[in-house]
Amino acid sequence: MKPFAKRISRTVMAAAAVLTVVTAAGSAFAEPVTIRFGFAQVGVGNRQFGSGNTAALLHSRDILAEEFRNAPDVTLDWSFFKGAGPAVNEAIANGQLDFALQGDLPSLVGRSNGLKTRILAASGLRSNLYLAVAPKSGIRSIADLKGRKVAQFRGTNLQLATDKLLAAHGLTERDIKFINMDFATATAALATGDIDAAFGQADYLALDAQGVAKVVYSTRGDDPAFTRHSHLLVTEAFEQAHPDVTYRVVKALVKAAAWASDEANREAVFAEWAKSGIPAETFRADFDGQALGYRNSPLIDDFLIAAYRDQAERAKGYRLVRGDVRIDGWFEPAYVDRAVAELGLAGTWKRYDAKGHQQTAAQ
Amino acid sequence: MTNLELSRVAPESALHESALIAGNGRLDLPVEIDPKPLGALLRPALYALEALAFPLALLGLWTLSSRLGWLPAQILPAPDQVAATLAELAGNGDLWFHTSISLLRVVQGFALGGTLGLLLGIAMGLSPRVRRSVEPLFTALAQVPPLGWIPVLMLLVGIDEGLKLLIIAKAALIPVALNTHKGIRNVPDSLREVGAVLAFDRWATLTRIVLPAAVPSIFTGVRYGLTSAWLALVAVELLASSEGLGYLMVWGRQLFQLDMVIAAMLVVGLVGFALDWTLSRVERRLQRWELAGS
Repeated sequence: MKPFAKRISRTVMAAAAVLTVVTAAGSAFAEPVTIRFGFAQVGVGNRQFGSGNTAALLHSRDILAEEFRNAPDVTLDWSFFKGAGPAVNEAIANGQLDFALQGDLPSLVGRSNGLKTRILAASGLRSNLYLAVAPKSGIRSIADLKGRKVAQFRGTNLQLATDKLLAAHGLTERDIKFINMDFATATAALATGDIDAAFGQADYLALDAQGVAKVVYSTRGDDPAFTRHSHLLVTEAFEQAHPDVTYRVVKALVKAAAWASDEANREAVFAEWAKSGIPAETFRADFDGQALGYRNSPLIDDFLIAAYRDQAERAKGYRLVRGDVRIDGWFEPAYVDRAVAELGLAGTWKRYDAKGHQQTAAQ
Repeated sequence: MTNLELSRVAPESALHESALIAGNGRLDLPVEIDPKPLGALLRPALYALEALAFPLALLGLWTLSSRLGWLPAQILPAPDQVAATLAELAGNGDLWFHTSISLLRVVQGFALGGTLGLLLGIAMGLSPRVRRSVEPLFTALAQVPPLGWIPVLMLLVGIDEGLKLLIIAKAALIPVALNTHKGIRNVPDSLREVGAVLAFDRWATLTRIVLPAAVPSIFTGVRYGLTSAWLALVAVELLASSEGLGYLMVWGRQLFQLDMVIAAMLVVGLVGFALDWTLSRVERRLQRWELAGS
């Protein structure tokens, strides 16, 4: 009982201290800005690194720190959430974050619940979904999952991708015994045989190589509609208060994306992401046969907006969100377009129309 | 005196004897005879009001908080939104589905843990040797909360129903065993002497003297056992499950529908309250009989 009471009083004191600081900061004249940046991911064994997206490079390659090198009044604060997108939503609701790297479904869920955010750029497009099974499970395809015990990280963009995949095979979530597990827990449960299968990310390839699990399906080579997207978002409050800082964050992201889209850097990008603890060969295999720019483009084009519109529709259909999520007014391409022009990067990335076809040069 | 003493021995005879004494077959205690009948009539209503005042005040505070936006609506949804979610869950059958699964798990786990606890408590209460060899370890193990068992049990039985059953059974076993043990040990020596005078054998002593006298205490154990089984259930369901009230909370949290989390909490609380209230009524009956008998 006592430690709990102590903890409460400590929390109260901490809250009071924060309140004092905030009030003091508010009354100061030229206030310093802290950019509180959250990642809906964390490295293996809690390593404080992201991977598989361009925002991770902002942090790991100090690109954002470089952008604000001569701005001593700007501080950067990075957080990585083991609880992924759902945890990021909670942090945004609590006013603890300004920017976030988050996946499509959690952001849709956040918006449907009234979180005031704007999507500034794409960061990690067309990410693959992997199905790993316990070697003894006998599962060889999506159809074999019926009635089996399968781990799923609920509320992340993998859930929506999974539901779409299941629907394409005539299944729904109710046909499968889904158990909510974060990525680390699911990996452990696969190894101990507590679950028959798990939907996850490219890091399952490493489990396959070790013989711990077998990857029996991935969206690689399948319909790109089953893939997932993530993006950089900002809270409306921060964007309104600091449009200039917001622009510089987007500009840094565009620089990171340009570096990560240059085929000459292919191995360097994977090595950078490997700081998360996921081996570089995992990314090599995951990106095999795809141009870097196809996945690392920051552009908000018709394809991206249409994709989110479709995700919103499906998320509603699967009852992952209640009601319609308004897509209009959510995306703010002005920053990213300006950065691309200013950095002389026009033409670096292809624009796609709503149907996913490459748009003609006239665009 | 002998009549009264004997009346504690077995319930049927107790009822019979007391009825004879009271003359009307009722076992009411004198406390319930109030000189002011109007006050007596109003009292239950007054008590109900008192019991409701605090929850209503909290509800008011909650409503006020959501109206004034003290907490973000995403973190603490408004009461009417929670009510709407509850109604929706009840309407589409989800609520009953998950509640019935949770209840079934508790019934199974409680049946296992309660039976084992009863046997263990009787053994510890009757045999000094069992008590000496089992009690220290039992007391030590009882200090480990249900959640503390999960890591080890997970390795042994996996994360399936077996895990839930064992955790719930363990949660129920301990209060049942402790109270049964205590109840049996606290049977007054005078009662045992009566048995000796009547030349009861061991079986008759157990069934006609010890167990009846220990019933109120055993029942207290059953009541706490069921309550802690219900608490343990929600904890294990939060951990790994694909249905049940705990699962509903996980779903709500992951998909940022805190109204669903709160709705599930309300149901968990209400079911727990209903279980406890029902058993406390029975318990009071049993204690009253004990009181009336002595």
